[in-house]
Amino acid sequence: MNILPGEQVNAQHSKLKLGPGLLQISVGNASESAPQPIIATRAGTLKHSSNRSKWWIESNSRRYVPAAQEAVVGIVLQRLGEGYRVDIGTAHSASLDSLAFEGATKRNKPNLKAFPLLSFPACVGSLVYARVSLAHKDMEPELECFDAQTRKAEQFGELKGGFLVRCSLQMCRNLLDPKYFLLPLLGVKFPLEAAVGVNGRVWINAKEPKQIIAMARCIEAADPDGGGQDEIATKKLLDTLDV
Amino acid sequence: MASSRIEVLNQGGYRSDGRKQHELRSIAIDLAPQGVADGAATITHGLTTVLVSVFGPREAKLRSQTLHDRATISVEVGVAAFSTGERRKRSKGDKRLLELASTIKATFEPVIQTALYPRSQIDIYLHVLEQDGSLLQTCINGTTLALINAGIPLLDFVCAVSGGVHVASPLLDLNQLEENDVPHLTLALMPKTKKITLVTMETRLHVERFEEIFRLAARAAEVIHQEMRAAIRIKANTLVASMGSTRATVDGTDRDGNHMDED
Amino acid sequence: MRPPSPSIPEKEFIQISLQQSLRIDGRQMLEQREPSITFGPELGWVECGLGKTKVIAQIEAKIVKPTPERPYEGIITIHSELSPMASTEYDTGRPTEEEVTITRMLDKVIRRSDTIDKESLCILAKRRVWHLRLTLHFLSDDGNMLDCGCLAGIIALKHFRRPEVEVIGDDVTIHPPTERAPVPLAMHHTPLCLTFAFFPPSPTSDTTSALVLLDPSYLEQRLSTGLMSVALNAQRELCVVHKLGGVPMEIGEVMGVLDIAVKRAKELNRLVEDKLEEDWNTRKRIVEVR
Repeated sequence: MNILPGEQVNAQHSKLKLGPGLLQISVGNASESAPQPIIATRAGTLKHSSNRSKWWIESNSRRYVPAAQEAVVGIVLQRLGEGYRVDIGTAHSASLDSLAFEGATKRNKPNLKAFPLLSFPACVGSLVYARVSLAHKDMEPELECFDAQTRKAEQFGELKGGFLVRCSLQMCRNLLDPKYFLLPLLGVKFPLEAAVGVNGRVWINAKEPKQIIAMARCIEAADPDGGGQDEIATKKLLDTLDV
Repeated sequence: MASSRIEVLNQGGYRSDGRKQHELRSIAIDLAPQGVADGAATITHGLTTVLVSVFGPREAKLRSQTLHDRATISVEVGVAAFSTGERRKRSKGDKRLLELASTIKATFEPVIQTALYPRSQIDIYLHVLEQDGSLLQTCINGTTLALINAGIPLLDFVCAVSGGVHVASPLLDLNQLEENDVPHLTLALMPKTKKITLVTMETRLHVERFEEIFRLAARAAEVIHQEMRAAIRIKANTLVASMGSTRATVDGTDRDGNHMDED
Repeated sequence: MRPPSPSIPEKEFIQISLQQSLRIDGRQMLEQREPSITFGPELGWVECGLGKTKVIAQIEAKIVKPTPERPYEGIITIHSELSPMASTEYDTGRPTEEEVTITRMLDKVIRRSDTIDKESLCILAKRRVWHLRLTLHFLSDDGNMLDCGCLAGIIALKHFRRPEVEVIGDDVTIHPPTERAPVPLAMHHTPLCLTFAFFPPSPTSDTTSALVLLDPSYLEQRLSTGLMSVALNAQRELCVVHKLGGVPMEIGEVMGVLDIAVKRAKELNRLVEDKLEEDWNTRKRIVEVR
């Protein structure tokens, strides 16, 4: 169901959880019989979980608002004593502690030369694949490059080589969907690597530059916010590219 | 227009100021230190004089402007109110001056080895004292000399010269009167590699005519380079002599292997 | 806040792919993005786009008193501002260096290259002249805003029609477009601006000449080691040559770039003429028949 900002949402559940795009506003005194109304704050499709306890609005945008546990691709802006300042496309740049890497401990201060195997971004301008560990509206977002439980890298870390594609947030979510056509379609043609951040940035890599270019063009063509092409049209485009 | 009554090039092949077609105006270079500047130069091409002072590399005044991997360059151009025939004060925000400054900055950015001084700033201040055409040329040559004088590492000299075409005859080093009348260009050359770093032209000119004056100006820039190099050499020799060294001159051969006069 | 400069992988990839003559948007090295030209309902209103770069140009004419220095000439002014709308890089307030370059180039290409016959804009010497005001709105920046802005400005001037004016003695009568067909501006030539970007050659190749590409995209413009803008008309006349700093080039290389520009300017000129004619054919019935 499509919904516009300001429209009231009739969501009722004893353990109601509201996701992005929904807001409960306070109008006078609430009572058990007449709870505070819930309105939409974004235009999009209203969705809910199967037991109707979780509600959210699915919409597309370009600006990323950080949320904890989401994987993002960031650009290192600055090296500080304690870590890095990373641009992840949010209103404020995020911080990445140099202890938030696999194998880094307080006693064993990470040092680039001593840990060549660790995935520390070497300098300003590097790309990192990281997870948002803290997203609070009053604080700047924090990132980590490992799984906080296992303390293993889990593929997070610096992204070397390849190319960075910027796309809409919906496109990122599509790419993460295993049922989505694009990556399998490309994967049939040539071996590829991709790191999808949900912040509208996708790092891609393949053996040949022209394959990377083909990937970048297909992502742009299939982006609902860009070319908006479907599977057939994207396939046609891919066939015209000599890869 | 008043200027059109004066012939740019007369029957005898002489220009309005008595020069031949390919003749440059006299060049005067003064490399004496000025005030507290780290390096300074005053250069005169005919009746155009520019004073350049260089400060730095030093800490940038605005921290936000620093670049983590190289030095930033800032250029400011001021024009003395008395520099032209008509007394006229130019405001700092004048678009033409801003453009001149950004031209000079863009010219020197790839020539100065900025990567040697990360997080610092090099300031270049130019002051135009007299204007009689070929302002950009004079500014660039002056800046090269001031930078060398300040000891800032450069890849090469940058030598600029202006040129124009009157009917079908190319002219070099234009004065104000010629600049108002004929299509003109300015180019800057790096003499070691003979490569062009800057070309600007803003008047209509046919491609073939352009090529002719372009090639000629590139050769003229090398002549200007000789003058600039000689001035730097004299300055260096005086410095070495005043240090009281036994070998009172800098090495008499330049990198080309040509033997230069020792004075 | 300025957007961060492109990341290292982006920088390296652009470099490597260009060395193999591959561009990220699939163009050839010397291929321009196909200009999209849309005319508005009014004469002298045009939206011009190169890829995602978009500029709107609009012309207004009014009658003013000429300046005392040039009593027989009309006045042309160009207003352009890069608002933060085009890209987060531009801010209101002090103009950035790029903005200065763009406004100065527009001024040189459109105003100083004698595109418009200014004397034809004179109605009554020392008393009444036309004042043309060209306003350029830069809507979005995906590289090469200069070419896009120049193209929009020139097309708008060619598209514009001013009301016809009749002078009897000292009386000036302005005929509204409903009475008499408005007249086009007298133009000497059509300068078109082309911007080239340079990249260092691959270290393995034996040439030292730089890689040249036409109409750089945003990323290419940011990463290039130098730009060269050439404005010229279809008659092989250069109006502005503008190469500031950047990678040093040999004389032959510069001339080579100019040759490419000459060829492309002819094609572009034809495209502009075709588009204008196409639009004019749809309007004829409305405007001309009186």
